[in-house]
Amino acid sequence: MRFKTDLKNIRTFSKLTAALNSLEKIAWVRLDDDSVRFTVIPDTGSQVWASLSVDLIFENYNLQSNELNNTINLELPLGLLQRALKSALNSNHANLRLTKRDGVPMLSMTIHTHTKEQTTAHHENPRARFNGGHHEDDYDDPFAQADMQTDLTMKREREKVITQDIPVRVLHPDTVETIMQPKVREPDVHIQLPPLLQLKAISDRFTKLALTTSSTSSTAARSERNNPKLELSANMFGNLRLRLFTDTLDITSVWDNLENPELDPSQLTVPVEEHPSVAFREGGADKWATVRVDGKDWSKVLSVGRLEGRVIACFVDDHALILYVYVPHHDDPGGAEDVVTYYVSSYSV
Amino acid sequence: MVVLNFTLSEDGVAVLHDALACMFKFSDDVCLEARKDKLTLTTLNISKSAYVCFSFAANRFFSKYNFEGSPQYRERFSCQLYIKSLLTIFRARGGASDVSRENAAIERCDVAIDDGVGKKSRLVARISFRNGITASHSLPYEVKAPTHAKFNQDEAGNCWAISSKTLRQLMDHFGPSIELLDINTDEENHVVNFTCFTEKVQKRGATNSEAVLKKPLHTNIAVEMDEFDDVSVEDKMHIIISVKDFRAILQHAQITSGDLATSYSNPGRPMKLTYGADGVLCEFILMTVGEKDATYQRHKTPKANSAKAPTSRPELDSASHRASSAQQVQPAPSVEKQPTQHKIPTASRPPPPAFDMRPPPPPPPTAPRSPGLFISQDGGDDDDHQWDPVNPDEEEEENARIEWHSNSESDPFAPRISSFARKPTQQSDATPPERLVSGLEPTQRLSDVRRFGLFSE
Repeated sequence: MRFKTDLKNIRTFSKLTAALNSLEKIAWVRLDDDSVRFTVIPDTGSQVWASLSVDLIFENYNLQSNELNNTINLELPLGLLQRALKSALNSNHANLRLTKRDGVPMLSMTIHTHTKEQTTAHHENPRARFNGGHHEDDYDDPFAQADMQTDLTMKREREKVITQDIPVRVLHPDTVETIMQPKVREPDVHIQLPPLLQLKAISDRFTKLALTTSSTSSTAARSERNNPKLELSANMFGNLRLRLFTDTLDITSVWDNLENPELDPSQLTVPVEEHPSVAFREGGADKWATVRVDGKDWSKVLSVGRLEGRVIACFVDDHALILYVYVPHHDDPGGAEDVVTYYVSSYSV
Repeated sequence: MVVLNFTLSEDGVAVLHDALACMFKFSDDVCLEARKDKLTLTTLNISKSAYVCFSFAANRFFSKYNFEGSPQYRERFSCQLYIKSLLTIFRARGGASDVSRENAAIERCDVAIDDGVGKKSRLVARISFRNGITASHSLPYEVKAPTHAKFNQDEAGNCWAISSKTLRQLMDHFGPSIELLDINTDEENHVVNFTCFTEKVQKRGATNSEAVLKKPLHTNIAVEMDEFDDVSVEDKMHIIISVKDFRAILQHAQITSGDLATSYSNPGRPMKLTYGADGVLCEFILMTVGEKDATYQRHKTPKANSAKAPTSRPELDSASHRASSAQQVQPAPSVEKQPTQHKIPTASRPPPPAFDMRPPPPPPPTAPRSPGLFISQDGGDDDDHQWDPVNPDEEEEENARIEWHSNSESDPFAPRISSFARKPTQQSDATPPERLVSGLEPTQRLSDVRRFGLFSE
C-alpha cells in the first residue's frame, strides 16, 4: 500500500478540513485513482460527503493498493490535519505520504518553508530607549556585550523542513462497504443560498435568542430550549425564510431575489415536467417547502461558508435538506467544480 | 531608612513589566536582589526545574539608581514579592485613542524600598503621568535571601545560538497538548532537529483501537546548521526540555531582541539559555529530561543514572550569606494590598442601598464578535472565527487552545489573594447603579479614569 502526493491549493484544503472538523473530529478518507473523498458522519447532526477530484488539492499523485479499484481507506483526525495544513500554508513546497512510525500508520506531511521576514528596526539606537545615554560604555561592563551582538545577528534565512505526522487508521474495505451515501428523492425546491456569512450571523443570533429567552421550565421544554430549532423555508420564487418560533418569540428573516437554478434534464431521474419543483412553482410564491433544523448543528454546517463556494439548498418539504457546496478551482476558473454535499439533519414539526 | 531607590523611564517600566510577565509564567513570587551595580530579579518554579534570572544594569537600565545599603544590608539587599502585584503596578496604561494614550503616558516611575529596625517594610512605587497625576503604590514584602540555581559552565560543552524570532516562529508549528521538546543534531544532514512529542503516548497497547487517532501531532523541524551561530553539539545527542517553559522564554526573548544562546552538557543535567537586551541580561536554567528512551544513559552508567536522571533537578545554591529568618517579615497581605483604592473616594463603596435595586440586565451570553446583526464580509482570510460554531464553549476546542498565556489566564495566584484582590474590582464594577441611590452623581466614568492608573483592573 503506497500513497504519496504533493499538495496544492493548501488554503482550500485547509478550509475544507476546518469546515468538516466543526461537525466531527474524525473523517473517513477514501482515495482512489480519480478522486479523494472525505466523509464525516457524526452520531447526531449533519453528515458530509465531500468528493474532490484529485487534482484539486493534490499533484504528482501516486497511489498503489492491493484493494479492488486501487483504493485506500483511512480514518483520520481532522484537527491534526488542520493543524498540519496550517504549517503548510505559505510554504514553498509540501507533500503528504502514508508511512509507519513505531508500527503505527501515519500520514506524514513534509513542509519546506521559511520563517517570516525578520524585523530589525528596533535594533536602531538601542541606547536611546532609556535615559541612560549619558553613561559612557565600560568595556568591562558585562551588559555591554548584548549590544555588540545585535550587529552580528543578520544571518541568512534558510529553508526549514517541518515534518508533521498525523496518526491514521487504515480501514479494511469490508468495514466501509456498509457505509452508503444517503439517497433522497428529488427535491421540492432548490435555491441558491444568500452569502453564508450573513445567513450564519442571523441564524446564530436566532439560536442565541432562543437559548436565552425561554420562560417555561418543564423538562421537555428545557431540552427543547437547549437545542433550539430553526425553521427554514424556501419557494420557487427566489425566497428563503428563516424563522424562530418559541412560546415567547416569533421572528422571521426573509431573503428575496435569490436564484432557483435551472435543472439539467440529463442529471434527472424523472422527466423535467414531472419534477416535484414544477408543482411548487405552479403553487405560487406562497407554496413553501419547509424543514426544521437544529440551531447549533446548522451553525456548524454553515461553517462551510469559509470555502467561498456557491451553495445550492435542496428542500424536500418537511423531510430533508441537502446543501451542495461547489468548491471553486482557483487555478482553473470556469473548469470543473467539485461538490461537497451536506445532508443536514432535520426535524419534523 | 531608604535602602534602595531607582527611577525608570516609560520604556523602562515596559521592559520591567515584560520581564515580570515572563517570570509569572514560572512562579508567583519573585526575589528582588539589589546591589551597587545591578538589580536582579530571580525566581524558581514550584517543581524547581526552571530558574529565571533577569539582571538590570544600574548604570544603563535606570535613569537613576541608588543603593544605599544599611547596617544590616551592606553589600546587598534582597526581598520577595508577589509578581502579580508588581505586574499591576508596572502595567501598560493608555486607552484606545492616541489622545488618551498621550494623557496616560508615564513620565517617570520612582521606586523606593524602605526598611530598617522599627520600620514597616514597604516597596513604594510612585508613577507620575504626563497629565500630572501621580499614583503611589505601597507593597509589603518579605525579607528573604534569594535561591540561585547552580550551573557549571565548564561542564556544558554543547552550545548553539540562533535568532530568537526565528525560533519563536518555529514554535508555532508545534501543535497543542505537546509537552516535551527534543533538540538533537544530525551532522550527516547538517541540521539541528527540534522534535515535539508527548510522553503519555509512548504507552503501547491501544494501538488498534481508536485511541491511535487521539495521539497528538508529532512534529519535527529541521533547521540547517548554517542558520545558527556557533553550533557545537555532540552528534546525535538528544536533549529534552519542557515545551511550556521553552515557549515562555521565547515569548519574552522575541520581544527583547537578538540571539538566544544555549549551553548544556548531558541529558539529565541543566541547560542554560541566555539573551540580552540593552542593559538587561536574561538567564534561564532549565532541567533537562533523561534521554528519550534513556537507553544511551542506561548502558553507560546504570547506577549513576538511577540516582540522577529524571528526578534530579537543578541543584540550588541557597547558601546565601545571611541568616535571614531573624528578620523575616510576614507578607501581611491583607492590610494595604490596594492602597490607592482607599485614597480615592469614588472607589470606596457607598452604603448599601435602602431597597433592592433591580440588577442591571445581564449582558447577552456570548456575542463577542458580532455586535451588529450583519457582520462585514471583508474579514481577511485568516479571520476564521466568524465560521466558528454558534456555541463554541460547548466544544472541546482543543485546536483553539493557544498556550502562550496559559499561566496568566489560569491565574494560579488567585487562591492566595483572591479574597481581597478580587472583591474590590467586582464592587467597583457594580457601583454605578448603587451610587444613584446614595445620591452621588458620578462625574466621570470609571473607565475614563482607569487609564490614568488610579484603579487596578
